[in-house]
Amino acid sequence: MEQEIQQKGYAHPEALVTTEWVAENLDDKDNVRIVESDEDVLLYEIGHVPNSVKIDWVEDLNDPLVRDYLDPEHFASLMAEKGITPDTTVVFYGDKNNWWATYALWVFRLFGHEKVVVMDGGRVKWEAENRTMTQDAPSFPRAEYPVPERDDQKIRAFKEDVEKHIGKAMVDVRSPGEYTGELLHMPDYPQEGAMRGGHIPGAANVPWARAVREDGTFKSADELRGIYEGEAGLAQGEDVIAYCRIGERSSHTWFVLKYLLGYENVRNYDGSWTEWGNLVRAPIER
Amino acid sequence: MDRKDRIARLVDHAGNPRHKGVFDGAQVVMPGGSPECGGSVVVYLKGDGNGRIEGLSWTGQGDTISMGATSIALERVLGEDLTMDEVLDFDYEVLLQEIGRDVIGSRTRNATMGLSTLKSAVRKYLRERLRSGDLDRAAG
Repeated sequence: MEQEIQQKGYAHPEALVTTEWVAENLDDKDNVRIVESDEDVLLYEIGHVPNSVKIDWVEDLNDPLVRDYLDPEHFASLMAEKGITPDTTVVFYGDKNNWWATYALWVFRLFGHEKVVVMDGGRVKWEAENRTMTQDAPSFPRAEYPVPERDDQKIRAFKEDVEKHIGKAMVDVRSPGEYTGELLHMPDYPQEGAMRGGHIPGAANVPWARAVREDGTFKSADELRGIYEGEAGLAQGEDVIAYCRIGERSSHTWFVLKYLLGYENVRNYDGSWTEWGNLVRAPIER
Repeated sequence: MDRKDRIARLVDHAGNPRHKGVFDGAQVVMPGGSPECGGSVVVYLKGDGNGRIEGLSWTGQGDTISMGATSIALERVLGEDLTMDEVLDFDYEVLLQEIGRDVIGSRTRNATMGLSTLKSAVRKYLRERLRSGDLDRAAG
């Protein structure tokens, strides 16, 4: 176990690796696959961690027609193409404090891929440490990945689940302006994509990026508890739902609560505000 | 130009943006995009009162596509000295083709954010001009 991560006191320190660990293991192509997942979709082309592959949350992880994730056949095919087997340890990293990296990890968990970890600090830390980057895209032999089952129950919440959950622990991880509905009402930001602004009744507001330090690494467990339990009032043992606009920022908070603080039951509501804020008669608070 | 060159061009524009900065004499200041998703821009516009652009700049932050494409769009508008009507007629598809469909992929909204905000700025300018009769005189 890496000391730098161990000393932060997480419930599941094995869910993180350091940049140093990645630098030492990036040539272990048989057992490790490094996956870059970014908001800025061109960053991988500009330069990436050697031997890493790119997974684009829009083009690779979403169904092209229905608002849903890819189906099990396509997931298996994507894994085979990236040279990933069910036994491969997949290390996710990306821009924006690993926002999209945790989103990709969450989708991998929907399909039950067990060995998933995040590179603490993400792309920004790797760059700050002047570690090697390349524009060469690696190629791996096509792997065997049996078509898995997708479990949408344990870590994913749908509208009906949220309706039943009102009054229980819920975290809105958007910015305060989105939470209060103020941002949506700015006439020049119509792209927020919802008819109404505000938040789901009873949800606490903890902007997702509060979980990370300036260098991109996650805050310690004590610091995180201070935010999520001290300020937002969550408690261990609670069933928590996190949401944002389309479920990407909240996957970051899902990761924090589930792996770093050890909450057993955390679900990500990927319909999020673009669903709730457009639902006829859905209750809203401002 | 192949895909690599097209990416290099976008990266160059994103890293060394053209016509970027606050323009104090602007008659219209138009924000666009989403600060939480993809990026956001503010377009600064001044007209000459006869349908031509007298001053134009932008500020913003966001990903390589949104920032690079905004810089490319404004460079073209100013480089070709487009009139306000020509800006409104500037076809998004033409811009997307110029930047490279293969580079943009599904991120068309990011790629058109700058141009769409510029069009909004032009429309606002024209609306206000209609309303006030002579916005340029009013603005001094």
